[in-house]
Formats: sequence, C-alpha cells, structure tokens
Amino acid sequence: MGKLASEDIQIQRLIDSYLRLQVSKNGFTAEGEHLDEDFLTAFIEGNLNRREARPVVDHLAACMFCRQITAELIKLDLAFADDRARVFVEEGEPSRVSEVLNGLLSRIFGTNDDVVFAHQEQEKEEPSEKMENPPDNKQ
Amino acid sequence: MKHEDLVIECESVMDEIFARCVENAPNFGVLVDCFKDSLRKTAYRYLNTDSSETPTSEEISGFLRQIQADDLFLALACAGGNDRAWWEFDQQHRAYLERVARHLARTEIDAQEVVDTVYVELYGTRVVEGERVSKFATYSGRGTLRGWLRTVIWHSLVDLHRASHDEISLDEMMENVGESFAHANFAATELGGESQTIDNIARERYRKATLDSIEKAFASLDSHEKLLLLYYHVENLKLREIARMVENPASPLRGWFQRKSASRDKNPASKIHESTIMRWLEKNYAKVLKIFRTELSTTHGLSEKEIEICMGLATQDLASPNLYRNLITT
Repeated sequence: MGKLASEDIQIQRLIDSYLRLQVSKNGFTAEGEHLDEDFLTAFIEGNLNRREARPVVDHLAACMFCRQITAELIKLDLAFADDRARVFVEEGEPSRVSEVLNGLLSRIFGTNDDVVFAHQEQEKEEPSEKMENPPDNKQ
Repeated sequence: MKHEDLVIECESVMDEIFARCVENAPNFGVLVDCFKDSLRKTAYRYLNTDSSETPTSEEISGFLRQIQADDLFLALACAGGNDRAWWEFDQQHRAYLERVARHLARTEIDAQEVVDTVYVELYGTRVVEGERVSKFATYSGRGTLRGWLRTVIWHSLVDLHRASHDEISLDEMMENVGESFAHANFAATELGGESQTIDNIARERYRKATLDSIEKAFASLDSHEKLLLLYYHVENLKLREIARMVENPASPLRGWFQRKSASRDKNPASKIHESTIMRWLEKNYAKVLKIFRTELSTTHGLSEKEIEICMGLATQDLASPNLYRNLITT
C-alpha cells in the first residue's frame, strides 16, 4: 500500500515535470491554423459533437497557444457562471444603434464619422433622446 | 451521398428552425435566405470535418437542431443593422460584456476601450463590395452568443495589450491579461547539483531510460487524456474548472472519459464532481505508470530494482534542485 502510494506520487511528479519542461522548451505547439472564436466557445461549452471535437482535442493537445486560450476562457466561464441567465435592463438607453456606435467612434477616433453608418442613417424625428422601450419594427 | 445532397435534404429542418426563430422574434427582419445560408455554411463546415465517416442526413438534421438558433437569429439581425435586434442585444449583453472586460482588464479605461472596440467590430466598419462586414457574421451558433462574446472580448483585450507592448511574448502578454494569467507562466524547473549517491555512468543510463520511457508513455495516451493532463499540470486548471468544462452531458470529452463507466450508464446526465475529474486523472496516471514501467523493463531491459531506482531518481531530481532537466539534455 505504502509502495503503491509512493509510486503514484512519483509518477505524478514525473509527469508534471516532464510536461512543464516540454512546454517550456516550446514543445506541444502545433503548426498551422489556430481555433477560431466559434470553435473555442463551442468547445468550452461542451457543444461540439464527437465528429467536430476529435480534431479540436487533437489540436489542443498539440497547440500550446490554443490550449492556453481555452484554459483562460474556462476560468472566465466559471467566474461568470452565475451571469448566464441574467438580463440587464437599464434605463436611459439610446434610441438607435447608430447613435450608440457613432458615440463609440467619436470616443475612439475623436470624430463623429457619420459616413460609416450612412447606409442606415435616416433623418427621423425622435420623440426624446432617451428611450425606455425598444424600437418596434412591426408593420 | 454528396455533401450538397445531404444539405439539401435538411432544407425542411432549416425552414422549421427559421419559423421558430421568427415566432420568437418577429421584428428582427432576418430573411430566410440569409438565415439558411448561415446554417448551410455551418453544415458544410461540419461535413468537411476531418473524419472517415460520412454523416447521414439525419445526423446533419440533428446537428442543425443543436445550433443556438435564437442567438444566431439575433446575431444575423444585428449584422443586418436591425434596430430592434441591436436594442435587444444591448439590453441582454452590454452589461455582461462590460463586466467581463473589467474582470480582465487592468484599468477601467482599457475595459471601456475594449468594449467600445468590440461594439464597433460587431457593427462592422469595413465595407467589402458595398457590403458592411460585421463580426457577427463569423458567429455560427455552435456555442452560445454570450460565450462567443466573452471569447471576442478576451481576444480583443489581448490585441489591445499586444498593440501597446510591441515584441512582447505570448507568455508575458497572457500574464498581464487578467489575474488568472499568473498561472500561465511556465514554471521552468530550476537547475541544480547532482546527487553523489549513484555511480555516474549508471545514472546516465537510468536517466536516458527514464526520459525515453516517460515520453513513450505520454505519447501512447489518447488526445483527450493528454489534454486532461496538460490542463491540470501545465495550465493549472483546478478540478472544478475542468469539471465545469464537461458539465454538459453531451460533451464528447466527458463521453470519452466515461465510455466504460457504469455510473454513466445509470445516469448519463449526472453532475460531474471534482472527485470524478480526480478519478480520470488517476486513471491517466495509472496508464502512464504501466506503460512507463513496461518500457523500462522491455525496451531498456531494466530489472524491478533498477526501475525503482529510475523512479526514485526522477523524483529526487524533482524534489531537490532539479536534475531532471539533465535528463532532457543528455
């Protein structure tokens, strides 16, 4: 019993050191394309089926870059686990998406670039600057 | 059957999913062709997965039904610039995006900048052939929209950090994005002095045999087994974090580990506890140990006593200033 337990600990330590050392020598880094956001998310959520998951798992076992990303996303997923069902309704939302985005652009680029959103900008009288109900597109 | 024919056979399923989405969100203005194009693209990607088996049309239908259709519908509506959809998106996800960004970023300014940048990307400022290219177009509905957004925020924050720190390594960059990155640092083991207790020639032989055997033992594992060990030992994921990843009863990772499990047969949807992950790890250790010992014995012709010396050497090396590195370099 004592020998077995000792052997278990020894093999765990051996594996631990072996893996860390391999990675520190830039081992386990696959060449080629990395996983995209779509696949990363679906993998973390356990939403890939076996057919899709097999190459993803093969890749993750070989690619340090993607594996690190998935590890961080898993931690993030757990940190925000309670947030899943929450829907936030805040007062005073801007009435149109173009206003939100133009506001963002002016903060980022220091200009209000109306041209970017010109395709959907329509001169339209808004009853008020703030809106408490969603825009209703029902005909 | 050709891939095209398989997808055509699933048209009615696509129509059925679309109808349900329209019922749930009648004001989003998503056209049936746009929605079905997205589903078709995802179905082709699925069909082109590197697999020896060609799926049946029933399998494709089942696959399409698993797609987060309402999330995809919202994403496509936003990509199309629908006001109602953007309002919904903003209500449902903005506060969440902001909290995720604050959690990851070091400053409030960085967090706000990332959220702003992601919003702009989601809307799309690039125009290709007269069409605005929205980041939403890359969402397929395979994962939840919220999970996808979390990934987008994460990537955006890494990009932001990279842009402000030229020539920075991935490790350094990751260490600085979010507190959890502290663990991402690869703990390169310390070099140290050698034990004087064993004859040097024999010691070298044991070292080489140990390294060779542990390499073969690890290589013999299936990918999902390797990944579990890497997540636990290298990425420092906690048992509960790994358990979270396999929480979904349909998770293939879970399925592979549980394929011979009696408890799974009884209750396939049972909660995965940390103790379950520990058991999976223990099975991996046992598998590695078995192959490791066999390799030392059969390939390197070591006796039971010598195998014990190898085990002892490796752990001594690990426990004290590390000689294990010498194993690698010899």
